[in-house]
Amino acid sequence: MKRFLSLVLALVMVCVCTTALADIKVSNVKVEIDAALKEYAAEYSKTAGFNVTVESVGGGADYSGSLKAALQAGNMPDIFVIEGMGGYNVWKDYILDVSDTEFAKNTSVGFMVEGKCYGFPVAIEGFGLAYNKDLLAKAEIDPATLTTYSALKAAFEKLDGMKAELGIDAVVSIATSVSGGMTWVTGNQNFSTYLSCGLPYGDMTIIDMMREGKVDTERLTEYATYVDLLFNYADQEILVNGNYDQNVNAFATGKTVFCHQGNWIDPNLAAFENCPPMGFIGEPFTDKQEISGLMVAAPSWYVVNAQSPNKDEAVKFLEDMVATEAGQDYMVNKAGMVPAFANVALEPSGDLSVDVMKASAKGDIYSWGFGYMPDNFGMQNLGPIFELLAQDAIDVPTFVEMVTAEFANIPALLAAAQ
Amino acid sequence: MNALFLAPVLFAFTMVMVIPFFLGIYYSMTDFNGVRTDLTFVGLKNYETMFSDPLFLHSFLVTVEYTVINVIFVNVVAFALSLMVTSNLKGRNFLRAGFFVPNLIGGIVLGYIWQFVFNNVITQTAASLGLNFLTKSLISNKDTVIWAMSLVNVWQYAGYIMMIYVAAIQGIPANLMEAASVDGANYWTRLTKILIPMMASSFTITTFLTLTNSFKQFDLNMSLTNGGPAGMYMMKAVKTSELLALNIYNTAITKNMWGDGQARAVIFFIVLVCISLVQVAINKRKEVEM
Repeated sequence: MKRFLSLVLALVMVCVCTTALADIKVSNVKVEIDAALKEYAAEYSKTAGFNVTVESVGGGADYSGSLKAALQAGNMPDIFVIEGMGGYNVWKDYILDVSDTEFAKNTSVGFMVEGKCYGFPVAIEGFGLAYNKDLLAKAEIDPATLTTYSALKAAFEKLDGMKAELGIDAVVSIATSVSGGMTWVTGNQNFSTYLSCGLPYGDMTIIDMMREGKVDTERLTEYATYVDLLFNYADQEILVNGNYDQNVNAFATGKTVFCHQGNWIDPNLAAFENCPPMGFIGEPFTDKQEISGLMVAAPSWYVVNAQSPNKDEAVKFLEDMVATEAGQDYMVNKAGMVPAFANVALEPSGDLSVDVMKASAKGDIYSWGFGYMPDNFGMQNLGPIFELLAQDAIDVPTFVEMVTAEFANIPALLAAAQ
Repeated sequence: MNALFLAPVLFAFTMVMVIPFFLGIYYSMTDFNGVRTDLTFVGLKNYETMFSDPLFLHSFLVTVEYTVINVIFVNVVAFALSLMVTSNLKGRNFLRAGFFVPNLIGGIVLGYIWQFVFNNVITQTAASLGLNFLTKSLISNKDTVIWAMSLVNVWQYAGYIMMIYVAAIQGIPANLMEAASVDGANYWTRLTKILIPMMASSFTITTFLTLTNSFKQFDLNMSLTNGGPAGMYMMKAVKTSELLALNIYNTAITKNMWGDGQARAVIFFIVLVCISLVQVAINKRKEVEM
């Protein structure tokens, strides 16, 4: 009997111990920081008094779809990611107001709605045309002069003529394909050039027109001509067929001079030995003004599930990421991100991240507009149109026409999301 | 008392089939976005918009095309294989197992493996052999993508259907075939006059299985092409290999139009039931009793 009692007691102890530990599930959308975040979460769990587990669903994969599946399965994570108003409108019942936290006070780019902070900025990110410093120097092109469409076109022509000399396959590495899961690069990021590049930071002129379903045809045509230039000088195999790895690897191994990506490729580049020094220029889509700045924003936010029983622990996890040395070390050194918080003094080491930091310090930046489009509109509705242009199945005027036609649906889609 | 034994199954069936089925019909008449809890009843609006959406119409046509290709090729290949492994061929048991193995690999994994084969293995082999027409990946060409997908499906599914044929062939009494050959019937006559009529009931099953399987294709579609490459249909950019199931998924989950997606699923269900009933009725007529 005594033995039986002690067994029961032991079992009860085990149960109590396991149930007492809250389990915080973090859903991450940045695959490139997956390993670093998991390592930090594991280390953090040892002392925190609760467990933190991380699950990553990658950029190309269907993040919001998997989140909805998790919700239907009753497996909603405690911390998940939104990428702007589109996501906020869908998920607002599940998003906790975090205005009173320390991290909210230390950042200027929290996700704000009506003066209240709802999101923890994952990082400051920037994109544009990343270039290989060695190859441009070899071709005697000064990247600082590539600020207009004509200058960029001339440079592309010159580089295209020096393919053998430079040992490159093509001038640009950019991927568009639906099957490679690359529509986030074209339909979301590249398209932000149309929505906000060259305008004052946070300017809503083009975005407001978009919300009414209208396009600025002249600007859209200029932009489409620029996209066509990128596509014409791109590695065609990667352009119509490639995935993220092929897109980045061609650039990292010096097979292309430019790459249309953001500073999040730093960890991927670091994985290559002898990776040449890299830098950033903006997206010079026009001749009307000089585009010297990068597209920089806090594009995604961690939000805390307001209906989770463990929301206090989830908030604490985010607080500690900003407040503790280990957390800051993870964000900046391990994950190589540009931090969005005033109290973090560390600086990242990746070439492209440094360029993003410099650009934001100078204020030479343009905002990202794609988060204002209806949820997944860029990837689902615009992405295939970019792919058609990449296949040369359509020309620039048809591209403009098709985008205009898609825009006509936007007011209805936005209204339905409210 | 007997009903009590049925209870666990009935309970599960009700919970995962019956209730979701009627809930689905209800959702198809609302503006549900997949997350929100307050729904507005919109009647048949979702059913009306569906038929004016080029993406849906395109997916419908592609699915029909894909189904026709697959019903023919899966059955022809499977039947040929079954004849082969029931003949006196050496190593036929090994072959039987070998042809069946692809069926054991999950569709998602299989899709990614074949994506690599189409995008890298075939193109690079073709390039080094100088076969220029094959250097462009078959799944990035809108004219070949459906055929490439069908190839993978035939490769995966023919082994399974072959097993059904093998069982049917083995079920035919040997004395029938022997008597026929004693009477001087050659192989072709025995095949068309005895073997095939005797197997008619298994043709009913296999046609039904291949038809519904191809019509409902999802996992392979998602992982192999994800609907790509892009193409034009009715002046709109569409995904040329987006089959109906993937279109429903993208509408409901990715675009947050759960109501629309659910309405499409209801139509999908009705079409599938009609086609299957017609097919089974036709095939049943051809069956012979022993």
